[in-house]
Amino acid sequence: MVAESLVSLRRNTRLYRRSLGAVVRAVLEYVSDFWILIAAGIVTQSLGLVFLSVVMARVPHLNGWSYPEMVLIYALAGVSSGIVPVVSDGIWQLASFIHNGQLDYALTRPYPPLLQVMSAWVGFNGVGDLVASLAMLTWALLRVDVHWTPLNILIMLVLMLSGIALRLALCVVANTVSFWLRMPMPMFAMTAWQVGELARYPLGIYGFGLRFLLGAAAPFAFAGFFPAAWLLDRGGYAWLGILTPVVAVAWWIFAVYLFNRGLRRYESAGH
Amino acid sequence: MRAYLTMARNSMRSTFAFRTAFLMAAVAACFQLVATVALWSALLSNGGSIGGFTLPEMKAYLLVGYVTGWLGNAIGEWTLANRIRDGQVALDLVKPIETQKMMFAQVLGGLPMELIMIVTVGAGFVLVAGPMPGPSDVPLLLLSLLFVMPIRFCIGFLTTQLVFWTQNFHGVAWARNAIGAVLSGSLVPLSLMPGWLQVAAGVLPFASLTSTPALIYLGKVSTSTAYLLIGVQAFWVVALWFLARVAFRAASRQVTVHGG
Repeated sequence: MVAESLVSLRRNTRLYRRSLGAVVRAVLEYVSDFWILIAAGIVTQSLGLVFLSVVMARVPHLNGWSYPEMVLIYALAGVSSGIVPVVSDGIWQLASFIHNGQLDYALTRPYPPLLQVMSAWVGFNGVGDLVASLAMLTWALLRVDVHWTPLNILIMLVLMLSGIALRLALCVVANTVSFWLRMPMPMFAMTAWQVGELARYPLGIYGFGLRFLLGAAAPFAFAGFFPAAWLLDRGGYAWLGILTPVVAVAWWIFAVYLFNRGLRRYESAGH
Repeated sequence: MRAYLTMARNSMRSTFAFRTAFLMAAVAACFQLVATVALWSALLSNGGSIGGFTLPEMKAYLLVGYVTGWLGNAIGEWTLANRIRDGQVALDLVKPIETQKMMFAQVLGGLPMELIMIVTVGAGFVLVAGPMPGPSDVPLLLLSLLFVMPIRFCIGFLTTQLVFWTQNFHGVAWARNAIGAVLSGSLVPLSLMPGWLQVAAGVLPFASLTSTPALIYLGKVSTSTAYLLIGVQAFWVVALWFLARVAFRAASRQVTVHGG
């Protein structure tokens, strides 16, 4: 049983990689576009940094957070949102696959349809996002006041990976809603993505409604803010960060369940 | 002329046919607005000011930024970008109408839907966001808002032409939007920016999109400076229109149609 699922995990991973590889080769046919996308990612990620540095040059603290701490939160959220386009940009095409009845193709192949959809495209803007976010993250980590031990480095890595997994799950869920909405564009997911962008700043600046939305209902805050709060050991939020892996697993279970429910609704007729 | 009017009418109809999508886009943009207001409220909670902007003034500034961000944004450049990408632009080129004017007519057709979004969200914002000053000079404000759409159209039309070379529009559009957000003053007022960015903003057309109407709304510039800034807007409309025209003539020689 265990051996069997290990074999299928290895097979799935290998096929996923090959599927992404095929896309990379296709995208590299257009070299200028490839570089423009990476540059666009870097420029887009820098926007928040421009905002923070311009404003915080005049105000030393925002809601009790210093400039390097704000950059840390912003960069952590940036890393998790930057990986999504690199490893699963295809999920954004789900709405159009359903709209065109194109999902049939994925259903005929002996490989989980969700994985096929996710690996159908690679967004190289994500590479730019990652480059910029990792640079900001390094800069911030060298400046924040943290007593580093092997244990908290290990925990931080686990929290970061869970945050990335959570962000992916949220993206899958938001796009899976397309099975129920009759639209060729993933408008719901785009709105959800905008909501996720709010989680790049300390949760405390928002009112109750938004805090509930970002911390519980669509917990984007776990993909950046809560792990950062845990690392910096900040009052009310610190312990929440440690829950990130649990939240990520729960959302992945929900994502897979929802996708399968959606597949049952799929009529392959298009609309 | 009749052809262009028909195009404007058709694009208006299509915005109303896809109203749910536009509604969702408006909701998404609302979240952005809420986030920036929350940030500024936290920054200015002590009743102070940053760069001469108090919290009520900043809220009004963000409102103008939201309004100008919608004008001329609902429709247009993606249609052309996709037509260039799949080669259908070749058909536009053989039609006895100008592609630039045709695109402009389509963007015009998107205006009614944009105005509905602006009024709905804007009114909601004014009710929820708390006290903020009203426009200091309504005629001047409207005059400067009038130029926003044509300038955005020309910038969009110019950048879309890059698709003739890049074959894809995502990267171009994102990079342009990011640069525009900084240099138009929609991210932060230009007066807060370091000097070199202010210089860049001064010689590029982006500031005419947000900064100019926002400063006029708040009365941060004297009436004579306001006229000067509006003159700059008018200059950009004319200059960019002809630049885009010349550029399109050169760019359309690049058409390669090879599907697949």
